[in-house]
Amino acid sequence: MTFESTPNLGGGASSASTLVPVLEVKALTKSFSGVQALQGVDLQIASGEVHGLLGANGCGKSTLIKILAGFYCADGGHIHVNGREIALPFGPRGLRDHGVAFVHQDLGLVPDSTVIEHMALDYYGAESLVKRINWRSERQRVSDLLNRFEVDVDPDSTIDVLSPVQRAMVAVVRAVGDQEVGDYESSGAKLLILDEPTVFLPSEQVDLLLSLLQRLKSRGDSVLLVSHDIDEVLAATDRVTVLRDGKLIGSRNTSGSTRSDVVEMILGSPEVHLPRTASADQSKKRTLLKADKISGERIRDLDLEVRAGEVLGVTGLAGSGFEELPELLFGARPLKAGTITVADEEIRHANPLKLMSRRVVLIPADRKADGAAQQLTLVENLSLPFLGDHLRGWKIGWKKLRTQAKAICLRLNVVPPNVELPFGNLSGGNQQKALIGKWLETEPEVMLLNEPTQGVDIGARKEIFKLIRATVSDGMGVLCATSDYEQLVEMADRVIVLCNGRLSGELLGDEITKDSLAAAVYSKGAS
Amino acid sequence: MSIVDKTPKTPKSSNASSSVTARKVLEPERFALIGVWLVLIVFFIAMIPEYFPTMANLSNMLGSQAVLLILALGLIIPLRAGDYDLSIGSVLALSAVTVAALNVNYGWPIWAAAAVAIIAGMLVGVINGFIVTKFDINPFIVTLGMGTVIIGISYMISNTRTITTVDPALSEAVLAKPFFGIPVDFYYAVILCALVWYVFEYTAFGQRLLFIGQNSDVARLNGVPVNKSRWIALILSATVAGMAGVVYVGTTSSADTTSGQGFLLPAYAAAFLGSTTIRIGRFNPWGTLIAVYFLVTGITGLQLMGAPPYVQYLFYGGALVIAVVLSKVVRARSERKRLAIQIN
Repeated sequence: MTFESTPNLGGGASSASTLVPVLEVKALTKSFSGVQALQGVDLQIASGEVHGLLGANGCGKSTLIKILAGFYCADGGHIHVNGREIALPFGPRGLRDHGVAFVHQDLGLVPDSTVIEHMALDYYGAESLVKRINWRSERQRVSDLLNRFEVDVDPDSTIDVLSPVQRAMVAVVRAVGDQEVGDYESSGAKLLILDEPTVFLPSEQVDLLLSLLQRLKSRGDSVLLVSHDIDEVLAATDRVTVLRDGKLIGSRNTSGSTRSDVVEMILGSPEVHLPRTASADQSKKRTLLKADKISGERIRDLDLEVRAGEVLGVTGLAGSGFEELPELLFGARPLKAGTITVADEEIRHANPLKLMSRRVVLIPADRKADGAAQQLTLVENLSLPFLGDHLRGWKIGWKKLRTQAKAICLRLNVVPPNVELPFGNLSGGNQQKALIGKWLETEPEVMLLNEPTQGVDIGARKEIFKLIRATVSDGMGVLCATSDYEQLVEMADRVIVLCNGRLSGELLGDEITKDSLAAAVYSKGAS
Repeated sequence: MSIVDKTPKTPKSSNASSSVTARKVLEPERFALIGVWLVLIVFFIAMIPEYFPTMANLSNMLGSQAVLLILALGLIIPLRAGDYDLSIGSVLALSAVTVAALNVNYGWPIWAAAAVAIIAGMLVGVINGFIVTKFDINPFIVTLGMGTVIIGISYMISNTRTITTVDPALSEAVLAKPFFGIPVDFYYAVILCALVWYVFEYTAFGQRLLFIGQNSDVARLNGVPVNKSRWIALILSATVAGMAGVVYVGTTSSADTTSGQGFLLPAYAAAFLGSTTIRIGRFNPWGTLIAVYFLVTGITGLQLMGAPPYVQYLFYGGALVIAVVLSKVVRARSERKRLAIQIN
């Protein structure tokens, strides 16, 4: 990548204040039920610069962006756009009404609508709901806009035929176009905020998007690029700001910064290099579940084994494919290639029912959407896998199921242990304990966990760790996909790290530390 | 919000109180419809004591609604799984003209004609379910289209005429008054009601339909055969609609294609109104029974007081809309209570 890193203000963070910055955030704070997500964060973006925002998972960068976009209200702090203070809290449109445009990770495009339709929607929607759309002049406007930014896309093509990077570029041009037609009070420089736009792009296409950002910059606009990818940020930005644990670590010029400088800011410790081989005694354990060259939506040709008596952790950056692995192995997502073997038997056309009958269970990440029916009662939710077994003759034995559900609640310390309550009445931690208890009742051999402690309070989190360790020592095999490094440190015997859908590293036993995991996850550039 | 911050983890104190409140707050609403129904009955008894509280009127009200109740009981099976079957009214007509045509025009014995009619209904359900599950299409639109196709077929079978003089044996089997002077078709409907209740409450199939309707991803990830269950539900609703068609011919001794079409909306009104009582938020057979008779009480009473026949359109249409709004409001209320309980 060959972009010149030209800090147009001629120097460090301090000199940004000599001109009025496009966006200035001061002492921003935000907490979620007692947990400080942002602790007095500052951020300055000068006009005409591409600025990178970096940090590990949970550092607060997505909270910051969501405050600016109006999803969350900040608890305190000050925000200036082109020198004018914008009173907190903002409305639901966030800073959009002040000339700041956003492109979120999902891009917000509809697959079967055309490029023109997307842009006309914003253009005419802003003016009047009943004004006739002049499609001829609209086509002209859109193709001018695309030409101006050298985006080679047919305005009449629908989104689904475009390549991933073309889609991303359309989303960027659309946001910029929106800024141009908007009638904003602020007349200063424009700012475009890109939230992890490259996560789902093939690496060879990332440059195309980054060069589009340089064209925006050359018009005098500013860009805030939020990313996980250090190399990309170093190549494309003039300055970077790093957050860690909700605090500002610092801002520095990109030119003259090396990868390891930035990694040290992100992690708080220097980068380490990893061994990649399994030790002998681990591989002696009995294999319960084996995947050979499996491919899914993101995962490519992945081999792995879940062994008896171990917790296998799986982690990586968002979009690396680790998130889909549990459901892929459970047959809940289409397997595009490869084979899954459970207890030496190959499972063809895997589906959840087949895997369950081989004593493999899944605890999904999203309890609300996939884990339990929130409006149905605890006993109904805890009975669902057993309805077939408990049919005596033709009748469900509710009495027996109720006793079983109560026993699960008591054993796992689920409070309140009232099994007639709607499931949604329980707190996140109690819901998760109940679900784990339900599946343990089926006496599984392999348990697939996806982010098992997301939205779970500290107390329940500890209990869940203890429980999983206990079941593993009884000979069960556990696969746990998570981006929570601490959890892996406490629980995992072995961790595999994915990058772009492929295996990029493996850590064993004492090698598993928060730093080594973070380093392994960020070691994409080095490998 | 301060409550959340100050009391981080006090599970023991919250647990006893929350379970008690959650049970208690839902109780009175479960029987609200029955209460309104009783008020309505008392009102009509007071207003028209000479016509309303008579055996003849009771017998008429209970007997005349059996067809609608049977149809609605079939309907709530796919509704429980979240699927709308809009073809049931047409299936009723198809079944009715099939019975009449086979019996009158072709001289078939009435029981054979009835069996063929019910099987014809079942076949419609098989086709509906096949299209819905194999091509993953919303059943709303599939059954809307299929329903219209079936109307065409019914016209073909009946030759667009009303077929009369059906074997009186059928009328006897449907309208006989063995107990308390009430037509036997009412008892058929009650037996079906108990059967559906049993399936919903005590079989794995009924419980699976409930999960599919509430959250099909949860059902799938718990090993529920989602599409197979939905298919069976659509077969059952069409089969029951076929039975309703046979009973309908028994009540009128004649059939034409327009017969079934007035039943679709009242069946939906009864199903949705029924879901606001007994088991709130769930389609349930006893609630459906109460809703059917609540509606006919209102309509009959008003008509006996001199209201014109078209009052039923206002009543059924209004009931459907109000029931849908009501179930939304009740759900939002219990959601708020739930959150309040969680925070305490």
